[in-house]
Amino acid sequence: MSKVSLRPKHFWSHLFIWGLILFTLFPIYVVITSSFNPTGSLATSSLIPDIWSMDNYKVLFNNPAVPYMTWVKNSVIIAVANAIISVFVGTASAFAFSRMRFKGRKLGLQALLLVQVFPSFLALAAIYVMMERVYTVFPAIGLGSLGGLLLIYLGGSMGVNAWLLKGYIDTIPMELDEAARIDGASSFQVFWLIFFPLAAPVLAVTALLSFIGTFNEFVLASLFLQDVNSRTVAVGLQQFVGAQFGQNWGPFAAGSLLAAIPLVILFLSMQRFIIGGLTQGATKG
Amino acid sequence: MMYRLAGFTGLRAQIFKISFMGLIDALLIWMFFASLAKDDASTLSTVIAVIFVVTNIVYFAKFTLPFKFLLPGLILLVTFVVVPVVYTIQMSGYQYKTGNEISKSDALAQIEANGLAIDEAAPTYEMVLGKINGNWAALLTSQIDQSVLLADESKVEPLSSGYEADEYGVARTYPGFEPISIDFAANNEEAIIGLKFPLGDGKFIAPQGIDVAAVLAQSLVYDKEKDIFTNTVDGTVYKDNKRGNYAAVDDPNNTLTPGWRAWNVFENYTHLLTDPNVRGPFIGVFVWTVSFAVISVLMMFSVGLLLAVVLNQKIALRRFYRSILILPYAIPSFMSILIWNGMFNRQFGAINALFNTEIDFFNSPWLAKMVILIVNLWLGFPYFYLISSGALQSIPSELEEAAQIDGANNRQVMTKIKLPLILQILSPLLIASFAFNFNNFNIIYLLTGGGPTDVLNGKTAGATDILITYTYKTAFGSQEQNLGLACAISMVIFFIVGSISLWSLRRSKVLESM
Repeated sequence: MSKVSLRPKHFWSHLFIWGLILFTLFPIYVVITSSFNPTGSLATSSLIPDIWSMDNYKVLFNNPAVPYMTWVKNSVIIAVANAIISVFVGTASAFAFSRMRFKGRKLGLQALLLVQVFPSFLALAAIYVMMERVYTVFPAIGLGSLGGLLLIYLGGSMGVNAWLLKGYIDTIPMELDEAARIDGASSFQVFWLIFFPLAAPVLAVTALLSFIGTFNEFVLASLFLQDVNSRTVAVGLQQFVGAQFGQNWGPFAAGSLLAAIPLVILFLSMQRFIIGGLTQGATKG
Repeated sequence: MMYRLAGFTGLRAQIFKISFMGLIDALLIWMFFASLAKDDASTLSTVIAVIFVVTNIVYFAKFTLPFKFLLPGLILLVTFVVVPVVYTIQMSGYQYKTGNEISKSDALAQIEANGLAIDEAAPTYEMVLGKINGNWAALLTSQIDQSVLLADESKVEPLSSGYEADEYGVARTYPGFEPISIDFAANNEEAIIGLKFPLGDGKFIAPQGIDVAAVLAQSLVYDKEKDIFTNTVDGTVYKDNKRGNYAAVDDPNNTLTPGWRAWNVFENYTHLLTDPNVRGPFIGVFVWTVSFAVISVLMMFSVGLLLAVVLNQKIALRRFYRSILILPYAIPSFMSILIWNGMFNRQFGAINALFNTEIDFFNSPWLAKMVILIVNLWLGFPYFYLISSGALQSIPSELEEAAQIDGANNRQVMTKIKLPLILQILSPLLIASFAFNFNNFNIIYLLTGGGPTDVLNGKTAGATDILITYTYKTAFGSQEQNLGLACAISMVIFFIVGSISLWSLRRSKVLESM
């Protein structure tokens, strides 16, 4: 770290980096400027906007045809619920796989490993028909409901989460739960009072990844949520710009920016942990 | 610690457990009976019943400790992942598409109901509609010989006397028969259209307007023994073609509607391989899917690795560069894709504005593909930078020093030592990334929508569609929805992704180490 250099030796390196930075920042710059550009569309002159205004942001909150806050609310509800429930349930499964020996354990782990490579939307036609039937009996968890979508997400995230979390629980030393057992703790107490607090940082990262994944999910959400008020941000913004992109471009940029900023901050502040999780899979193989 | 532990044992824990389980059981029992009350929900009731039984066994028996932890996850996984997959397999064996959506018995009933024709040999009737004892009835006067019939919904009988006819010889009144008013007729149009006065032999008299009736005959007669329909008018025989339709024996394209979901295990799969209308788009889509995934991974990996190598040097502003360059990974990808979509727009896009051009990127198959690859590079290179950087740092520096002592220059150290090691370390992630991009629905659907559409011959596949978006369009397209075929394509994807993953897991020996 001592020798920082701007010598010509690094000329090509700097060129490469700055090229990449321009490439990276260009769309971000475009979104920021067009969110403040009241003309709505991105005409030639407006690469650098002449007028700055908050009109696009006002549309998001005042136009009943664009229930932006409802979309955000739906996204947050479903992503938070999915993150919490799937991490909780996944930890319980991971705990059993990591700490207990039982018939079918190895087979279960192998099945889990295979299941987690298939995104759940692969079976989308079957899911659609299935949830359509569920709707006729239980509208609250059938097609078109956030509840039904949540159940599908939960099922889909079980494989990945249980697998990731098992890897972490394996690293917690056995002595801890043995000590607790000698003190007379039941399995449930070991799980709840020892593992949960110890695993809290990893659980937070898993929950965050799960949250981002759900927030980004588009296929199932667009298939499920047809009603304008039950859409998530992803579906809402897509259909909003899909119709008349030219006119809605400004409000769309504003809406994207507003939704992205908290997530980017969250991501950057937790990047150390997230990146640790990413590379773990690599070095293990 | 011990106090907290003690606080959750004994009676309190028992009470908590029993009341919690009681709530779950009550919910499941309610759901079971609610689903039982509906027809056509027997699978749902079975699933609920199984969950109920298994849950109670697991949480009240003593020998099932691991399953007390596994069960919630297991139920979610089985119900919402395994069941849909099994259902996909099953549906891929059905002809399940627009026009073939109902069961065979429903289809039979509808064909019979539709298969009516006016009997040209029989007379038409002047009709006076009315009621007898509150039930629909009609006085019918033959237009040919002015003979009169009294009809209700159970029988038709000839009248020789007792009625009064008007100046044209049309019977108007009969004791006990109360003609309906024109207003009443207008308000009960639907009931009137549905009236049938049976003559026996599959024939009946039915209203053809407010004051005319005709004899209708069942023109399509179903023979239950032989499972065929015969058209009594022209004599055509329709046989079950095993593809969900009754088709004329001498002309397979002449089918009766509606069809039904026919069970024909390999039909959809053979369609994929032999039907030129399906095979053409399918092969085109398949080739593009594989090339898209391979090229994407190669591009993202090259740029990511190069960046990792460059930023691994002692270079000014390293941290600053790094935090900017991982931004694309932090921004929700559906937004970035939609933003890029806007930027490549012909009329108002930033790219055309920047270069002062009017290129229609999304209307040319090659440009659209190029745009997809560029945007995917933007989205993916930070991830590859992060994992390459991790891999690069995990290589012990002794290796590099040893090579340098042996006289290797920097380039040789990189290509002969580091690169092979990095490839070895990262190969599981590269394969995982290939599998991810193979099914990268968002980038295709949100960026080009699979378009432009006029290149492949098929009805639903566009030039940039990959298998998963093609599946989506096949299943939920606006013109024709073919759920059976979509499930068959899903199965092909399952098979490809599954084999690649299994192969990669075998190689990395994860399976043995469990």
